[in-house]
Amino acid sequence: MRRTGRTFLGAAVAAGLAAALLAGRPAAAQAPAKAPPPSPAPARAKEPSPAGSPAAAKDAWKREFEDVCAKTQDAMSLTSEELRALVARCDKLKPAVDALDETERKVASRRLRECRNLYQFVLESRDGR
Amino acid sequence: MKRLGIATVAVLVLSLPALAHAEQTSGKKRRPLPPEFGRVVLDAESKKAGVPPVVFDHWLHRSKYTCRLCHVDIGFAMTANGTKVKAADNAAGFYCGACHDGKRVTDGRKIFDSCGKGSPQEVRGTCLRCHSQGKNVVPQVDFVAFTKGLPKGRLGNGVDWELAEEKGLIKPIDFLEGVSVPRKSLTAQKDFALSPKLEGMPEIIFSHSKHTVWNGCELCHPEIFGAVKKGSVKYTMSEIFDGKYCGVCHVTVAFPMQDCQRCHAKPVK
Amino acid sequence: MPGLGRFGLPALVAVAVAFPSSARHVVPPDRSGRVVLDNFSSAAQVPPVPFDHWRHRAMFTCRLCHVDVGFAMEAGATKVSAATNRAGFHCGACHDGKKTHRGKPVFASCSESRELPAAGTCGRCHGAGDPARLQRDYEAFARDLPRKGIARGVDWEAAEAQGKVQPLDFMEGVSIARPPLAMDRDVVIPSKVRWMAEVRFSHKKHAVWNGCEACHPDIFPATKAGTAKHSMFQLSSGESCGVCHATVAFPMADCERCHVKPVR
Repeated sequence: MRRTGRTFLGAAVAAGLAAALLAGRPAAAQAPAKAPPPSPAPARAKEPSPAGSPAAAKDAWKREFEDVCAKTQDAMSLTSEELRALVARCDKLKPAVDALDETERKVASRRLRECRNLYQFVLESRDGR
Repeated sequence: MKRLGIATVAVLVLSLPALAHAEQTSGKKRRPLPPEFGRVVLDAESKKAGVPPVVFDHWLHRSKYTCRLCHVDIGFAMTANGTKVKAADNAAGFYCGACHDGKRVTDGRKIFDSCGKGSPQEVRGTCLRCHSQGKNVVPQVDFVAFTKGLPKGRLGNGVDWELAEEKGLIKPIDFLEGVSVPRKSLTAQKDFALSPKLEGMPEIIFSHSKHTVWNGCELCHPEIFGAVKKGSVKYTMSEIFDGKYCGVCHVTVAFPMQDCQRCHAKPVK
Repeated sequence: MPGLGRFGLPALVAVAVAFPSSARHVVPPDRSGRVVLDNFSSAAQVPPVPFDHWRHRAMFTCRLCHVDVGFAMEAGATKVSAATNRAGFHCGACHDGKKTHRGKPVFASCSESRELPAAGTCGRCHGAGDPARLQRDYEAFARDLPRKGIARGVDWEAAEAQGKVQPLDFMEGVSIARPPLAMDRDVVIPSKVRWMAEVRFSHKKHAVWNGCEACHPDIFPATKAGTAKHSMFQLSSGESCGVCHATVAFPMADCERCHVKPVR
């Protein structure tokens, strides 16, 4: 490189670094927004709904879920057939869970996922995959 | 001479990062005070709603409930702000509201309502019990008084929670009516040894039974430990310190990993 | 200049200009390792605390204070307050008026008593003190101890090895004993330039004072051998080795104490 080129390069590097260092910190956090008006809280069904109603269908998923996922503690002692059946039942439950309201769906789908994945995990470790 | 001039300019330029670095620190941080260890600040929604963020200290809840109850049955995430709890969720009986509903009873007392409805005067005092960041809130249960009779532990909360549970000094609850799935008791898993890569470090004795007391199976498998074949995944300390694998719990809430000998317990012959 | 090579002179200029003052100036040993604690003192209208490491270092290992008691290794990061001291944390872990050290009671810090002698102890920490007295105390302390380096400060490593100082690593009620971990491995850190010797890091020498926990993982996260990058710029800014050796332990101006392996 020619002499002038090198000097220019040095100065450019210096200027670039100085600019980077002098660049201010990101702007301070904005002031907190005003609290939104409280929305009516959705009721959580505690008693079983009358048979045949849409609410009963909702409870049915819960009963099935409790039945399927009650066996996670014993997963190690179940047969591979049983584990496959449980995984299949979890997969069948998924659409019902996906149809729930926002937060219940978030909670239930996480639990279903953990339950199903545990059975799958035990199955796979048994098969040595 | 020209070369020296260029070199000096380069040096002055290169020293700028060093001077900037002087503000950054990567030294050893203070050890959190025993009541502070396990503190999580929840702010996914609070500031947006105009309330101080929630300061959640794990120690009180962990002495009364298993990790599994909150992190599997109730569904809390294992990372700060991973759950995104909203006031409406609590009021609807999810997350904190699963217990903090003003009706459930623990130790003979009603658990206070979280994000409940009520007159502003009634509610305001309760809000501060959780939404306390930056506020000088004295907790209702005093840490020193509560942990007085518990076995001393190294670092962390200064309490050996494992020993406390073994001795029956604490009896963490694993089942929540209406939320938990009724389960049979756990088939015991075997303990096994993990060999460290660093020659001379004692082997790690991993005890399943000690962990399943608190966690059950689903909390760790397969999300944290997904290897189906034993030995197929090499856990490195740099990943663990970074919050992966064992570090999901043992960096923030369970006994901290500065206590090397709690895991590296089996001397290599 | 002979033996320096093409860029030797500019490189020397680099070393001389780029290092912050801690590496260039020689701090007198009685004031070396001074940390001024002032998170709350000035606001409470009390003089800040000038903590001189040398007094405590002779009695305790680094590990006892920085791991078991839990002080940070950065000035101002611990946030010691009268409240934390009174609650038995930080200084109050030992300075509680009840614990004894080698048979003598340790004075209480931030005592609320209005009676002497407890009421008169504030000034033992909160106050600049007399610089001449500090120097005399240091000289009296260090008279029979081995000295080393540009600043002629105490050679703590040799003093401990010779048994002239016996730092305690355990304090009843504060520490919980664990079986010691054997780590005798030396780590060779190659130097980036041809004209500086390699660094031979001795785990054994450091573990005497620090155990494992003082350094790992906060200062040195576990990395694959050879992947950790230490540049002298970073060190002199107080990172990695500089956490201790730019502040309290022997200064980096004593190059040959680390760069020991002779150039081939």
